[in-house]
Amino acid sequence: MIDSGFDRRDFLKVMGWGGTAVALSGCGNTSIEDGKETVVSYVEAPDYVIPGVGVYYNSTCAQCDAGCSINGKVREGRVLKLEGNPASPINRGKTCGLGQAGVQHHYNPDRVREPLLRNGETITWDKAYALIAEKLKGVKGEEIAFLSGGVSGHLKALLGNYLDSIGCKNHYVYEALAPGVVRAANKKAYGVEMPRYNINKAKVVLSFGADFLGAWVSPVHFSQQYAQFRKGVDGQRGVLIQVESKMTLTGANADRWIPVRPGTEGILALGIINALGTASGEIAAAVKEYDKARVSKETGVPPGHIDKIAALLKLRSPSLVLVGSAAEGYAHGSQNAAAINLLNHVLGNIGKTVQAAASVPFPQLSPAKGNTAALKSLNDGLAAGKFKVVFNYAANPVYTAPGAMKFKDNLAKAGFKVAFAHYLDETALQADLVLPLDSALEDWGTQVPEYLADGAQINIQQPLMEKLHANTRGMGDILLTLIKQRRADSYKNYEDYYSYLRAAMLQNKGALGGVGVDEDAFWNETLTKGIIKMAGATVALSGRAGASGLTVPGAVECDEQYPLQLIPGVNISLRDGRHSNQPWLQESPDPLTTIVWDSWMEIHPKKAAELGIVEGDIVEVTSRTGSVKVQAYLFPGIHPDAISIPIGQGHEALGRYAKGYGVNPFQILDAIYDKETGELAMHETRVKVSKTGQRVIVVKDESAAGAKQIREKIAGRMSTDEVDLSKEV
Amino acid sequence: MHRFLHMSVLLTGLFAAAIGFAAESPQPVSMTEDSLGPLVEQPIDFPHNRHAGDADKGGMQIDCRYCHTYARRSAVAGIPPLQKCIGCHQSIESVRETPRIKKLFEYWEAKKPVPWKKVHDLPDFVRFNHERHIKRFVEQQNRPVQEACGYCHGNVKEMTVARRSKALSMGWCANCHQKDHPVTAEGGTPVGAQAYWYTFQKPVVAEASSDVLKAKGPNDCWQCHK
Repeated sequence: MIDSGFDRRDFLKVMGWGGTAVALSGCGNTSIEDGKETVVSYVEAPDYVIPGVGVYYNSTCAQCDAGCSINGKVREGRVLKLEGNPASPINRGKTCGLGQAGVQHHYNPDRVREPLLRNGETITWDKAYALIAEKLKGVKGEEIAFLSGGVSGHLKALLGNYLDSIGCKNHYVYEALAPGVVRAANKKAYGVEMPRYNINKAKVVLSFGADFLGAWVSPVHFSQQYAQFRKGVDGQRGVLIQVESKMTLTGANADRWIPVRPGTEGILALGIINALGTASGEIAAAVKEYDKARVSKETGVPPGHIDKIAALLKLRSPSLVLVGSAAEGYAHGSQNAAAINLLNHVLGNIGKTVQAAASVPFPQLSPAKGNTAALKSLNDGLAAGKFKVVFNYAANPVYTAPGAMKFKDNLAKAGFKVAFAHYLDETALQADLVLPLDSALEDWGTQVPEYLADGAQINIQQPLMEKLHANTRGMGDILLTLIKQRRADSYKNYEDYYSYLRAAMLQNKGALGGVGVDEDAFWNETLTKGIIKMAGATVALSGRAGASGLTVPGAVECDEQYPLQLIPGVNISLRDGRHSNQPWLQESPDPLTTIVWDSWMEIHPKKAAELGIVEGDIVEVTSRTGSVKVQAYLFPGIHPDAISIPIGQGHEALGRYAKGYGVNPFQILDAIYDKETGELAMHETRVKVSKTGQRVIVVKDESAAGAKQIREKIAGRMSTDEVDLSKEV
Repeated sequence: MHRFLHMSVLLTGLFAAAIGFAAESPQPVSMTEDSLGPLVEQPIDFPHNRHAGDADKGGMQIDCRYCHTYARRSAVAGIPPLQKCIGCHQSIESVRETPRIKKLFEYWEAKKPVPWKKVHDLPDFVRFNHERHIKRFVEQQNRPVQEACGYCHGNVKEMTVARRSKALSMGWCANCHQKDHPVTAEGGTPVGAQAYWYTFQKPVVAEASSDVLKAKGPNDCWQCHK
């Protein structure tokens, strides 16, 4: 809220003069402190440690679950920088900004360092374990719930065994932004939840809201495929068409960005099948109704565009149609996704650009997946007072659950809540016992990514440095101690999780590619490489190109009271908000709006003019569930019937870099679910926007939209309708 | 008007702050080539003369690089690990009960490093690379190790606890970099980094009688300030 005539340029001028003044008056070697600073040597130094020279270790990035392999530079026992491991087929030596910020997860000053009770009292680990044992005594298995984020590898197996030992069958896996509906639709259409997409082999990619360059499934991998796609197959540069209501990073890179009325993606897909005219039988009958005029009316896409897309898809084969989070987030998300996947069948892309996925030959290690449906059933159980003990690991539902679920209130009904946490996040604050975890750069583990790029692989996570805090523990170590409370005999040979992991891997040495190799040699090689690659079994695509029962409901009639659709934007670096306490991510500008350290509401300039809103107006966005106050940002990359607020800000906890910045749109989401899968329809919440009368200067990197620089317009602007697609292709 | 008021207030404030800062901070002492640093009290009075000194003065003539082993392999010299001291001293019974060695073993048994005080400190914006200097003078030029180290560290073999005896200021560094140094080993052809260096600076032939090529040291700002 700056309102003086003193702008950035003046500020820089003053700083420049001031800096000169300091430089002129303060010359001298004033930072030398001979004989004052202590230099500490190693007591015992390993041979390979040379002060000032880095040592490199391979591990796995834990910032998201794409499973990129990383290579960490360690100097004087401190990890300094993470880069990609070139040997990994997933990320081929690259990392994204989120991965780069992994060191800030490790060095974060707000990490939990001691086991804590609800009242903030620190206790010892022995007491904490004894407390859990005491609280579990006499509690029946069905009265225990374990909520976790996506887990895979040996941790998943050990967790399963622990839950088995306490008789608990209620393992809820919840990832707030997982593509739950798309998985179900893919399973129907292709026979697998996540096929392998070959963007690099496609000549046209038609993406319905899949932000594969930004935050969708495995963005680093897809970005590299995208680079090949743009170089072209057979000398033809690939064409990217993005259909979505709110522009994503991928949309910004597309040759043609098509804003569609929110929720009508499926109708457009059926309209394109109709326009192609190549389908026959059942499918042709199903799309017969979707002629251009109707589709254009319902989706808001001009008929000419539908023709051009169909013509382009016919002209260039193979193509690839992707269904992403924007299309699945509606009450009819499954139907949308089915209609869009049908397009791949009609275009004959199956087996060419949509291929069978590999699977890791150890099903017990494959990732446990889940979305809001799991959280909903946990929430229902909590509301009914079913659970006496609730565990929480790697999920923050108090922050990410839709406001209408009232998760926080329901969680309070559980008798005893344990949180395994790196930071005191919103959910950990509600826990009766908080157990501090090692950071991802201090812990042992294995990980199996959901999206496998090339063959099957198991990723190794190993400590890059000694623990920063003496009283944190690895999740595996904690589970091992807990399981020993029940099954001491079966686990007595494993002193810690490391020995468990090593024994488990060596047991399957043959299958992991170590036939006839000495145990130590195999183990050392595995740790050195950080990845175990296997041929893996290929799961054949078995889906059916059926269209029976496929109907997609039309656009929602205008709701007088709540006229706008709320699209919770997925930011490339903040994602579901678990990393908002990493300042590098907070200060890296959003790629489309360039706003930093804050939330905003994207609104189309036409709609804004209608409502009398200008940039920086503080507006109140109200849904049936609640309301938030946020600064307005005029953005032509959004459908006029929608507004968007990015996810990830608005924390009430999570430490100094996250708490108190921006607003949390999860809070105002209505509890509307996809009819088939029961997953949360994230884009289905309708809102109204009203001005509060306050106005601020939006803190961002860019100048105002369409601004002039030194009185020269720097780039021409053209509305999308004026652009001729045929000339671009 | 409003904004000029803002600017002038800010500027005046900044100047005042800058002058205040300059007045408070100690002015650098003018340094000669051999200006001595402060006497530094160390937790153990390490006798450099006993370890590295000449045999006729009771020294053991140990190569500097035996203990300061990182200097030839890294930009920073590092401090010898405690293990290194113990490695020899556990089998030197004659001095085992002297106060200094007893103290050394106390640290060792507690597995605690000796909190040495830093004697040669440079500002954080200066990067001095030990490895390059040792490669250049010791490995390529075959200069005696104690001479090469001594260019900057002085005659350590006659000191007990080390004391800074050179200015280590920028002028002092540049003073040496501006001198003509032989750049070939015993009249041979330039190798490695020197060959690279030739592409920037034409060496001068010093005397007609000798065929030793000479050149100045690196003179770019970024060599040290990066």
